[in-house]
Amino acid sequence: MGKRYGGRQPWVVRDVSLDVGPGRLVRVSGRNGSGKSTLLKVAAGVCLPSAGRVTGRPRVGYVPERFPGGLPFSAREYLLHMARLHGLRAAAGAGAVDEWLERLGAADYAGAPLRSLSKGMCQKVAIAQALLPRPGLLVLDEAWTGLDQAARATLDAAVTERVADGAISLFVDHDPARLAGRASQRWQLDGAGRVTVAEGDNPAGESASGNAAPDNTAWDSTAWDSTARPQVVVIEVAGLEPGSRAALGGLPGVLSCDGPAVRVLASYSDDVLRTLLAGDGVHVASVRPETGAPDLGAQR
Amino acid sequence: MIALLRYQAAILVRSHRWIFPLILYGLLVAVSDEGAVPLAGGLDWSAAMLVPAVALLTRSMVTAEPGAARAVVAAASGPARAQVAALATALGAGVVLGLGGACFELLASQRPPGHALAGTLGGGLAVALVCLLVGSAAGALCNFPVLRHPGVTLLSTLTAVVIALVAGISPAAAALRHTGTGLAAGGGPHWPGLVPAAAAACLLAITWTASALAAARRG
Repeated sequence: MGKRYGGRQPWVVRDVSLDVGPGRLVRVSGRNGSGKSTLLKVAAGVCLPSAGRVTGRPRVGYVPERFPGGLPFSAREYLLHMARLHGLRAAAGAGAVDEWLERLGAADYAGAPLRSLSKGMCQKVAIAQALLPRPGLLVLDEAWTGLDQAARATLDAAVTERVADGAISLFVDHDPARLAGRASQRWQLDGAGRVTVAEGDNPAGESASGNAAPDNTAWDSTAWDSTARPQVVVIEVAGLEPGSRAALGGLPGVLSCDGPAVRVLASYSDDVLRTLLAGDGVHVASVRPETGAPDLGAQR
Repeated sequence: MIALLRYQAAILVRSHRWIFPLILYGLLVAVSDEGAVPLAGGLDWSAAMLVPAVALLTRSMVTAEPGAARAVVAAASGPARAQVAALATALGAGVVLGLGGACFELLASQRPPGHALAGTLGGGLAVALVCLLVGSAAGALCNFPVLRHPGVTLLSTLTAVVIALVAGISPAAAALRHTGTGLAAGGGPHWPGLVPAAAAACLLAITWTASALAAARRG
């Protein structure tokens, strides 16, 4: 497909032919003005392509790059409207709205008018509306900007959950560390409207190495070593209570948490560590890759 | 579509964008009513004034949402459907205005003898419907996203309203003329005629399609 805004305007993206399967996380990268937002808009169905078409689109959650509020609703009223637009029934919609306001740390502002909210709070509302219907296609256009640390981690986890659930997620973010190692594809825009596809995640922008994993999984091993199987990190912790242990076991990427050792997929280790360190009385004794190799050194 | 209409109606009510068209319509209808005019004439006037009122309501509705909110709704429901919902909400508000205008004329005008009342009222409401459709078409054609520049949209909307009310080819003008001649002849009920009604419906379909397509292209 191709897209331009008017018959005499230049093509923003052109001759793009992309096929993306369920459970894929796609990093879209390119310079400012290279057409990332336009590509995402066409993918999300916000506008029609000027040439070609987009088919087989599941239910879409779209987070625009800026969401300035400016509607005469409170945050909760707006989200209830959006839940209905997404086809959720009243009770289910209200439940999802409250759940996402809570998860994103915006529950205290649920009754505040959208016009009065700060940039970060507005962004949380935009993210909540996209996640409400558990979309099959989640499109994030620099959705992380303006968020506090906790909300960023929540969004990371939410994206991971959706993808693990079989959803497709396309995202743009100028931080190469964003979801590093988890994207299964990268779409690179060259500034002239062309898109090149690289398997695997290569956020630094080097050309993709030849060891792309052909498997259709949420994480990607190529960002680590040339080893084909996913890397596992063992985190040794002390002072973990049974309640938080159960919660830990439910986090994405956690393989097991028996005794002091928590086994985690490497690409999720940052999130798990963050969660661990946020808990009271928890002490991280060591972090090491599970390779059978000797301990790389306890960080006490 | 019901969720979309609810959302747009909530925006209209809560944003107070209905106040200006309401005041304008109220003034225009009230100003004509010096002394007791016959009901048929009063209904024709209040119908004609629906054209500017609905055109301005439509203008309010298609510019009510910020771009990002519009994009989010387009992703959830489709850009063309979202645009049609905004247009339909303005038209629905116009129906409320029109009914209010008709009620006012019923109270303030000189009513015909009982047996002619229903026919006169029916004819007046039919003319009002034609004017509603034409006003909505003018609003859809002359505003975002078909035309974009705020100055251009306001000027062209006003021009379109004037043309709709006076030009011979306009369905609204034709409907009003049709009843006007009936009125002068002193005959029975004054219906707008089928041709103006059909033309108004076609005009509405064409302009709404143009507006929805422009919204889908633009995003």
